[in-house]
Amino acid sequence: MDSPYWNPKNEKMPREQLKALQLLKLRRMCDWAAAECDFHRRKFEKAKFRPEQLKTLDDLRRIPVMTRAEWMECQAEKPLFGDLVTAPREHAIRYHLTSGTSGRQPLRVLDSMKDWEWIAEMWCYGFWGFGVRPVDTVFFAFSYGSFIGFWGAHYCCEKLGALVLPSGNMTTENRVKQIVEMEATTVCATPTYALRMAQTAREMGIDLPSSRVNKVIVSGEPAGSIPAVKRMLEQQWGAKCGDTAGMTEIGTIMIFECAHQPGGTHIIEDNFIEEVVDPKSMEAKGYGEEGERVVTSFGRGFIPLLRYRTGDLVMRMPWNKCTCGRTFDWYDGGIRGRTDDMKLIRGTNVYPRAVESIVRECDEIDEFQIVLWRKDNVQDEITVKIEVKPQHAAKTAELLPRLGKDLAAAHEGLRFNVEAVAHGTLPRFELKAKRLKDEREYK
Amino acid sequence: MDLLGHETTDLEREVLRLYNDLKTLAGRDDTPPCVQRNVKKALACLWQATNDLDLSFEQLRDLGV
Repeated sequence: MDSPYWNPKNEKMPREQLKALQLLKLRRMCDWAAAECDFHRRKFEKAKFRPEQLKTLDDLRRIPVMTRAEWMECQAEKPLFGDLVTAPREHAIRYHLTSGTSGRQPLRVLDSMKDWEWIAEMWCYGFWGFGVRPVDTVFFAFSYGSFIGFWGAHYCCEKLGALVLPSGNMTTENRVKQIVEMEATTVCATPTYALRMAQTAREMGIDLPSSRVNKVIVSGEPAGSIPAVKRMLEQQWGAKCGDTAGMTEIGTIMIFECAHQPGGTHIIEDNFIEEVVDPKSMEAKGYGEEGERVVTSFGRGFIPLLRYRTGDLVMRMPWNKCTCGRTFDWYDGGIRGRTDDMKLIRGTNVYPRAVESIVRECDEIDEFQIVLWRKDNVQDEITVKIEVKPQHAAKTAELLPRLGKDLAAAHEGLRFNVEAVAHGTLPRFELKAKRLKDEREYK
Repeated sequence: MDLLGHETTDLEREVLRLYNDLKTLAGRDDTPPCVQRNVKKALACLWQATNDLDLSFEQLRDLGV
């Protein structure tokens, strides 16, 4: 049976039925959490919430929200896993950690055999939906460590019957060589690292667009849905670029871009309830309004995740604004940033993703870095350091003021310092890129 | 009937029957490790199929899966 959908029954389910399914799963997950999870039982009691109060999906808001701080706190009080786990560690088959990008205490997670199967399954929705099939050869530019990253995607590809090429701790040069030699058709990486591999290929004299690669699937950074980044990736690889996003707290992806590429990512709504709320008031946001994602997962039994505040900024769109036939709503622009990403510079809000989307419009730029610093211990300054591709070095003098003007225009006239630095001197990243350096001292 | 009360198809009934058979097998304590562990692995896969088709939605902790 050839289907563009991994699970046609649910992916095309009428919305009313989909909501009924979500309510049924929500009740069972809450029953499970109330019976088996001390963390949730405590929170339910404090909020005077009982699972039998869930009569409609609107009753979801009776469930207390869960935060990363609470998770970290319960881990600190009861090492190693806190009282969020519903089974002893002997029942688990996998252990992973959050990436620790934000410098906070990492979260530790455990998964059972069933949970791990589900983790791979969510990636199957995404990979199949973007066109990966058993005939594909899928290369993973991923280091296979304790960060969950593409682990689930690897198992997804085994499950759907594709040939998997795990690259482990290979150098970038060797990865590029293997992609070409093994005739990979699909490459998985962070957007940043996919660009780095393309750059390395050029330096090696390898023409990637003439390789067999026809799909680049990215995850791990918001950049995967920035149009300018996607355009660069598609040009430099000569392949379609599809975005996905997940988080260690969930264990897998919750959104994926379908082959119709509506400019965003579908929510896997038969396995998650995604709310979009105002980060301050917690009031629900409607279609087309930006807000914070709050996720409830039906997948992990080991660690029930109910109304978890993610800090991700999204804008929800109705399902029928995509032509693929799925009844799953989608997020315009994927993950648009993080609530804690915003920096205040001389009274103007600056989001790294917004800066990246403007920098990436300049084809002459290879790499960049945003530096925040304080002038004379008083005035906040923002400098964007750029590396110009060697073949465009002559355009540097013209590029600097043009980029400064574009950045200011997008930020209420805020003055940006733009500096060119020698090619190859800025940091390169394999996993989540850290392009913002805040050198200001806080007293 | 599936979880939403819809009549199940022949295929769905077959998937559900296999799932329930695997649960029974996984609960036995007289099977050698090669059977026991492979049955649990198969059960995790069938759990996923029944979950996808809205035939069943439950936890399998007590079977160690």
